[in-house]
Amino acid sequence: MSKNTEKTSVISRFLNKDQTVGNIFAFPFIFGFVCFSFIPIITSFYYAFTDYSMGSKTATYIGAANFIKLLHDEIFIKSLGITLKYVLISVPLKLAFALLIAFVLTRKSRMVTVYRSLYYVPSLVGGSVAVALVWKQLFARKGLFNSVLAGLGLSTVNWFGDTKLALYPLILMTVWQFGSSMIIFAAGLKEIPTMYYEAARIDGAGAWQMFKSITIPCLSPIILYNLVMQTIQAFMAFTQAFVITGGGPNNGTMMYALNVYNQAFKYNHMGYACAMSWFMLVVMSIITLMIFKSSKFWVFGEGDDE
Amino acid sequence: MKKMLATLLTATMLFGLTACGTTAPAADTNTPAEDTAAVVEDAGSDTTDAVTETTTADSDEPVTLRMAWWGSQTRHDITVEVIEMYEKEHPNVKIEYEFYDFDSYFTKLKTLVASDQVWDIFQLGGNFPEYIDKIYYMNEFIDSGVVDTSKISNAYLKITQDTDGNQIGLSNGLNTYGIAYDVDMFNEAGVALPTENWTWDDFEKAALTIAEKTGHFGSSGFTSSEFIAGCSTFIGQQGKVGEYGFFNLDLTGMGFTDAQMLTPYIEMRANLIKNGASPDAGAEMEITNIENDFLVTGEAAMTWVAVNQFPTIYDICAQEGRHLALATVPRVKADGPAGSVIQSSQMLCVSQDSQYKEEAAKFISWFQNSTDCNNVLKGERGIPINDDVRKALEAEATDGQKIMYDYVSLVGTFETPEKINVLSPAGQDEVVDNYRNYIQQVVSGEITASEAADKTYADAEKLFK
Repeated sequence: MSKNTEKTSVISRFLNKDQTVGNIFAFPFIFGFVCFSFIPIITSFYYAFTDYSMGSKTATYIGAANFIKLLHDEIFIKSLGITLKYVLISVPLKLAFALLIAFVLTRKSRMVTVYRSLYYVPSLVGGSVAVALVWKQLFARKGLFNSVLAGLGLSTVNWFGDTKLALYPLILMTVWQFGSSMIIFAAGLKEIPTMYYEAARIDGAGAWQMFKSITIPCLSPIILYNLVMQTIQAFMAFTQAFVITGGGPNNGTMMYALNVYNQAFKYNHMGYACAMSWFMLVVMSIITLMIFKSSKFWVFGEGDDE
Repeated sequence: MKKMLATLLTATMLFGLTACGTTAPAADTNTPAEDTAAVVEDAGSDTTDAVTETTTADSDEPVTLRMAWWGSQTRHDITVEVIEMYEKEHPNVKIEYEFYDFDSYFTKLKTLVASDQVWDIFQLGGNFPEYIDKIYYMNEFIDSGVVDTSKISNAYLKITQDTDGNQIGLSNGLNTYGIAYDVDMFNEAGVALPTENWTWDDFEKAALTIAEKTGHFGSSGFTSSEFIAGCSTFIGQQGKVGEYGFFNLDLTGMGFTDAQMLTPYIEMRANLIKNGASPDAGAEMEITNIENDFLVTGEAAMTWVAVNQFPTIYDICAQEGRHLALATVPRVKADGPAGSVIQSSQMLCVSQDSQYKEEAAKFISWFQNSTDCNNVLKGERGIPINDDVRKALEAEATDGQKIMYDYVSLVGTFETPEKINVLSPAGQDEVVDNYRNYIQQVVSGEITASEAADKTYADAEKLFK
């Protein structure tokens, strides 16, 4: 009997340990991460140096041939350019918009919570295929936007038929999903002590001056966070291009991720697609690193002496 | 104590999760599908593991077969209907089905090939060489009588055999390509109706005139089948009958050497788009299947079809009081080769991964030979190869089907080469996508038609290196 109690107490002591509890709660995530992220990442690195295809299922080591092929691949180079353009336009626009709305919504009004929730909705549904299909209809030849243009007596625009134009509706769709950045900005704005503004007002500063010299510097760590997150997300954009334009016209919306998908699943070049993914990882790492390096010139920490 | 409780709760939750993940399908009995439109998604992943390895199933043993196909909504509806018929006749057999549009079907198939879980019964067309490792030949089932071929003539069996005489699958029907057109729109624009040996020049002029006079597209989108129906036929139409083909007869290289033979065709395609007589890339994205093709929506006068699609769109248009007809694929020269052949539309194959190959073959046999089944299918996949079934269907053909039957017999009278290759090599998808991009580049003036021809040829040639 006493042995039994001892046993239970050992078990209960084990179960009551902080570490055990923590590990059990973390298990679902760890399991998912290892099985669906970590292992695929490692195998994809191996496949990047092979000619693996899902059809043949044989992977022969071919050295860096996949990476060399990348340099001569017209569509790859084009997709890289388009993705960079997409990131460079969509991210600043999205952040500016998110900041503007967040700023407007810091006013003390009873409706603020309602508005915030409303503006957050696109972010909840934004990445979905359904919204992409709606977007496709809105910008179609006889879609809403063209109907409005025609109604105003203007000439209609062939959004998805023109190589130069096709990317912009996709950018607009991303910008429209500014909600999550907005919520983070709003939280950051609340943290700025009101006494700064009071002091500035006493000194006779205008609204723009206060925004430029108080809001932006105080908010800069949050801007950095949003910038990094949104940049990474923008590089991985896939759904819009896949559903709305299929990469066309003339590969004018061939996003990087869509190109990888095509190579892997449509054209059966899984090894090549893995090489492309790793190339993108390097590019994204460099850009993120650059953003972090540059941050010491424009991000103000609480502990800084300046 | 609280912590302990939390731990236990978590453990229960985790257990619950894993319990949900593993269903036990082996004991599943036949339950009729509640919703005909419902897709059984990803049914494969857990069934195959649990079912024990048996190739010859006892007639009473519950069997779950997985089946998939691509096609239009009409096809989905009627195929689901016959599957339910079969399940009623064979209470031990349950068929889990999935259906897709053409592109998604092959994307899904490729992932299943990689994981060795290809559907027991699956549909393939002329692109089967890419999946040959996953096809279980039907020879033994035909020899043992599981698959009844008594009413199928040898010639029709041959269209789905490889060069060694292995039965790859059973053809769902005979098929050929054609151009469906709106008779009234031709008349409205004052354009002469197509004759059976009209040329590409006639086609181009008709499309341009219709676009100019009516404001509609002369010809609707050139969807992915256009590469085979148009571009590759264009090569076969040059020279003497059977002199050229896009690929050679044993599918080991190109069937022509001068890339410039493609130029006039690419030029014509680009010219139609430039003049608004054919949809540009943006408009083309709006076509998702034959039922919302611009011909059907009344925005185009012509469209490319595999003729088995014709009765469906004929009926839709007839309800709106419009009349469609079928024209032959235009020729390079009015007195030159037609380039069209009658071929298998698509076939049902038994998968190498199947646990119940014989049961799968039994279903395919029933699918081809049962008159009841085909009274529902009504030749939507092509003209049936079983003699009795074909006679039964021809006897009560609708107007649209009559046009299809007449058209196929007309194409059957055209002079064809002794040997012909209608198959596509592995990797053709990339060539087709690039080819369509080159045409867009010709439209925008980035490259010339002759450069586009060279590039397309180089891309296709690369498949064999």
